[in-house]
Amino acid sequence: MKKQLLSMNVNDETIEVAVEASASLLEVLRDELGYIGVKEGCSEGACGACTVLMDGRPVRSCLTLALEAEGSSITTIEGLASGGQLHPIQQAFVDRGAVQCGFCTPGMILSAKALLDHNPNPSDEEIKDALAGNFCRCTGYAKILDAVCSLRPASSSKPGR
Amino acid sequence: MDREEYSFIGRSIPRVDARSKVTGEASYTADLKLPRMLVGKILRSPYPHAKIINIDTSKACALRGVHAVVTGKDTAGEKWGVFRYTRDQQLLCVDKVRYVGDEVAAVAAVDEDTALEALRLIQVEYEELPAVFDCRSAIAPDAPLIHDDYQRNINVAVKIDVGDVDSAFKNSALVREDTFVAEEDSYFMTEPYAVVANSGSDGSIEVWMPNASPHTKAKALSNALKLPLSKVNVRKITIGGAFGGRSDVFPAEFITCLLSIKSQRPVKVIYTREENSIATRMGHAMITTIKTGVDKDGVVLGRDIVSWLDGGAYSSTGPIATSVPFLCHEQTYRMDNVRFHGYRICTNKPVRGMIRIHGRSFACGIDTQLDMIAQELGIDPVTIRLKNARRAGETTPTGSYVSSCGLIECVEKSAEATNFLAKFKNASPERGIGMGMNSVQTGFPLGIRGGSQAFIKFHEDGGATVISGVVDNGQGNDNMLVQIAAEELGLPPDDIRLISADTEVTPTDAGSYSMISTFGGGNAVKSAAADAKAQLFEVASELLEADPEDLIAKNRKIFVRGAPDAGISIARVVRKALILGRPIMGKGSFSPQVDQRREWISNPKGQLSQAFSFGATVAEVEVDTETGQVKALEVTCAQDCGFALNPIVVEGQFEGGVAMGGQGGMLGEEHRWHNGHVLNPSMLEYKIPIIKDMPEIKPIIVETIDPAGPYGAKEAGMSVAMSAAQAYCNAVGSALGIYFNHYPLTPERILDAIENKKTGIVTAWEFEPATKIEVETSPKGSK
Repeated sequence: MKKQLLSMNVNDETIEVAVEASASLLEVLRDELGYIGVKEGCSEGACGACTVLMDGRPVRSCLTLALEAEGSSITTIEGLASGGQLHPIQQAFVDRGAVQCGFCTPGMILSAKALLDHNPNPSDEEIKDALAGNFCRCTGYAKILDAVCSLRPASSSKPGR
Repeated sequence: MDREEYSFIGRSIPRVDARSKVTGEASYTADLKLPRMLVGKILRSPYPHAKIINIDTSKACALRGVHAVVTGKDTAGEKWGVFRYTRDQQLLCVDKVRYVGDEVAAVAAVDEDTALEALRLIQVEYEELPAVFDCRSAIAPDAPLIHDDYQRNINVAVKIDVGDVDSAFKNSALVREDTFVAEEDSYFMTEPYAVVANSGSDGSIEVWMPNASPHTKAKALSNALKLPLSKVNVRKITIGGAFGGRSDVFPAEFITCLLSIKSQRPVKVIYTREENSIATRMGHAMITTIKTGVDKDGVVLGRDIVSWLDGGAYSSTGPIATSVPFLCHEQTYRMDNVRFHGYRICTNKPVRGMIRIHGRSFACGIDTQLDMIAQELGIDPVTIRLKNARRAGETTPTGSYVSSCGLIECVEKSAEATNFLAKFKNASPERGIGMGMNSVQTGFPLGIRGGSQAFIKFHEDGGATVISGVVDNGQGNDNMLVQIAAEELGLPPDDIRLISADTEVTPTDAGSYSMISTFGGGNAVKSAAADAKAQLFEVASELLEADPEDLIAKNRKIFVRGAPDAGISIARVVRKALILGRPIMGKGSFSPQVDQRREWISNPKGQLSQAFSFGATVAEVEVDTETGQVKALEVTCAQDCGFALNPIVVEGQFEGGVAMGGQGGMLGEEHRWHNGHVLNPSMLEYKIPIIKDMPEIKPIIVETIDPAGPYGAKEAGMSVAMSAAQAYCNAVGSALGIYFNHYPLTPERILDAIENKKTGIVTAWEFEPATKIEVETSPKGSK
C-alpha cells in the first residue's frame, strides 16, 4: 500500500513519518516511533489504555487514524517527566499506591492530565467522569481517585467533595 | 519485634516498580522487539465439536512472506495437563476440536497482514459432531463424549466425607436444602495475552509471556518441545494482571516456540482481546446444592454439598478447581460432619481455570443459606456467623491445623464499623446490607515446586542484588521481596536490585498462584538475607571487636546494639570480606509445612496449607426496583492478612478485590452464549466495573501475626474478593427481602425476582438440584 507522509509533534519533537492511510495513531506511535507506553488493551476504544493527548484532548489512539494527527501535538506518557523529574500526576500515582500491574497507568495518567490542565480543582464526580473511559482491573480505582484528589488545592486534597 | 522497630516493613512505602510504570518505560511482552522478528497468528476451530479430516497448508506455505506453518503433525499430538493424570489437551489439535477457538494451525510471517492472509489459505476439512453446552446435557446417558475416557463427560470427581452427616441431620432442629447457580465469569486483565519466542542456533529457546510461574512454564515447554530444561529460558517481563488467569500452560506459548524453531527467527504472537477471553481461561459456571442441618441456636451440625462445575473442553487445573470452593468453606466454618461431592464436567466450551472469586455459587450459596437459616431461627446474620466461624488452634474437617485466625475479629470489626445490626433490621430497597465471610490458603502441596529459594549477592558499594524465582503479576511481589531484603539487611530499598522470574538465573519457586508468594518466596528471601547478614556480622565483628550476636544492621551501617554512632558502613564490611576471600553470598529457602501425601482426588486429607487468611466484608447497597439497577453505597472489608508488610499495597488488594469480586463479580460479570460461541468476549460487551461504579471502600486490616509467615504475613489478595461477592449478594437480598440463588445479580434477574417474589423463606428461583453421580472412570489422582 502506498504510504503518505505524516508530520506531527510528539512530546515536543517534530516528527515526519511515512504511514499507510489505514494505520492507526496507536500503530504509528508504538510500532514506528517506539512509544511503548501507549498500550493496546482492546483495539476497539473500550478500555482507554491507548489514550494519548492530541492538542491537549484525550483520544483513543486505537480508533484514531494516524493521518488525523497531521499538524497536531501529541503527548504520550513518555512526554510527561522532564529532566528525570516525574510530573506531579506521575508522582502522585507512585506515592498514593495507584499503580499495580501498570498496564492502564499511562492512559489513566493522561486522562487525569487532560482534566487537571483544564480544571485544576475538579470535584470527585468530575474526576470520575474524566476517568470513566479508562479501565483498571487491579486497584478498584480507590487509590487512583486518591492520587488525583491529592493534586487539588490543599483544602480539598482528599476524596469527598 | 514491634512494628516501630522496623525500618521498612509494615510501612506504606511506594512500590519499587511504580516509577517505571508511570513513565511508560515498563516493558510488557507485546512491547518486545527483536531483530528479524516475525508475527505469529493462530487458526482456531470454528466448530464446538468436530473431527479433523484433513488440513491442507500448501497454499499458506507458498505465500510470499510466510516463514513457518505448523499443525498437529509437528507436535506428535503432545498433550498438556497440570497433573500426569489430567493430560488431555493437545497443544495443537490432531484428531478433533472440542470448542470454538481450539488451536488447529499457526503461521509466522513478516507482518500481520501476511500472517492473516496465510491463515485464510489454510484449508481444514472438518466433520461436525454433536456438542453439549451445559452440565446437565453433558452427563445425560446419550450425550456425545468429548473425551473417550471421561464417562458421562465427568472429568473430575472429588469425594470428601467426614464425620456422620446423616446422623447430624437427624439431630438437627432445622435442615434446609437449596440450590445455587452461577454463570461463567472472566479475568479481563488489562494486558491481552502475548508470547515472544526466540530460538537460538544452539538449540535453546527464550520465551517471554505473562505468567504466574516461569519455572512451571519452562518445565512444561521442555517436556512438550522435547528440549532439555537447561535449553528453555523463560524470561522476566512486566505482567499486566493475572487473577488466576495466567497460571496454566497455554498452547500459544508452545506454538510460538514451534514457529520460532521452524523459522529460526524470533516470533511474537499477540492475542486479540477476543482470543484472550476464549483461548486462555475463564471462570467455571457452577451449580451447587447445599443441605445444612443446624441446632436450635444456629450452630451447623452437618452439611452435605454437591457441586457441578462446567469445566469446558479440557482439564486445566480441574482437580484443584473442583476442590477449592469446598476447602475455602471448610476453613471458614466449623463443622464436625460434612460431605462433599464435586464434579467437573466437560462441555464444548472454552477451558475453565481458577479465578480470584472461584466458586461464586458455592460461597454465595453458603452465606445466603446461612442468612435464611438465621431468619428461620430468629437469629441475626452476625450472631450466626460468630457461632460458626473458625478459630485459631482448630483443625479443619480434612485435617488442616489453623495456626492463626482473625475471622471473629473481622466479623466483629466490620459489623461494628457499619452498625450492621441496626441497618439490617431496617433494611429497605434504599439501603440493604449484607455480610460475607471467607478464607483462603497460602499455597498447597506442590511437591518439589512447593518451595522457594533465594540468593543475595553484595556489590562493592554496599548495595545488594536479590535473586528470586517469584514472579510479579502486578500485585507487588517484586516490591515485597525488596522490602523484606531491605529490612533484614539494613539497606534502603533503593540500594537493592532484584533479579526475579528468569529461569536461567533464578532458583525455583512455587509460582505466584494459590496466594503463596509472600508466605513462600518472602520467607525464602528473608532467610537468604539473614544468611547474608550473618556473614556480614562475622566480618564486622572482627572490625568492631564485638560479638556477632550483639550487632545490628540499619541505615547502611553495622553497629553494636545501642551504639549506632560507632558503627561501620556495610560497604566497608563488604570490601573487607572480599579482601579476606570470604565474599558475602546469602542463600535461603523455604518449603511450607504441608502434608505432601495429600492429593486432590485420591487422598484429600492432611495439612493443605501452612497458613490461612480470613476475611469478612459488609456491603451496603441501594436497589432501584423499577430498573433492577443496584448502586453500591459503601463497602467495608476486613481481612486477617497476618501482618501488613506494606499497608497501602494491602489496601489496594482489598479495594481491587471489592471491584472484581463484589461490584463486577456479583452485579454484572457473566459470559453469554450461543451454541458454544461466546457472545461477549470483548471489553465493550463484557462489563467490568469503571470508576463511576465504585462505592466508597473502607479497608480494615486485621493482623494475627502467623507464626510461620514472614514477619507474620499471610496473603492479602483473595479473601476480600470472595467475601465481597457474598456480601453484595446478601446486601441486595436484604434490600428486597429476597434470597438470590442465581448469580450474578443482573438487573434482569433482580426484576424477575421482584415480579415473581415468593412468600416464606425460600430462594428466588427453584433449580433442579445438583445430584451425586455414579461414575467409575474419572481420573483417580496420582500417588
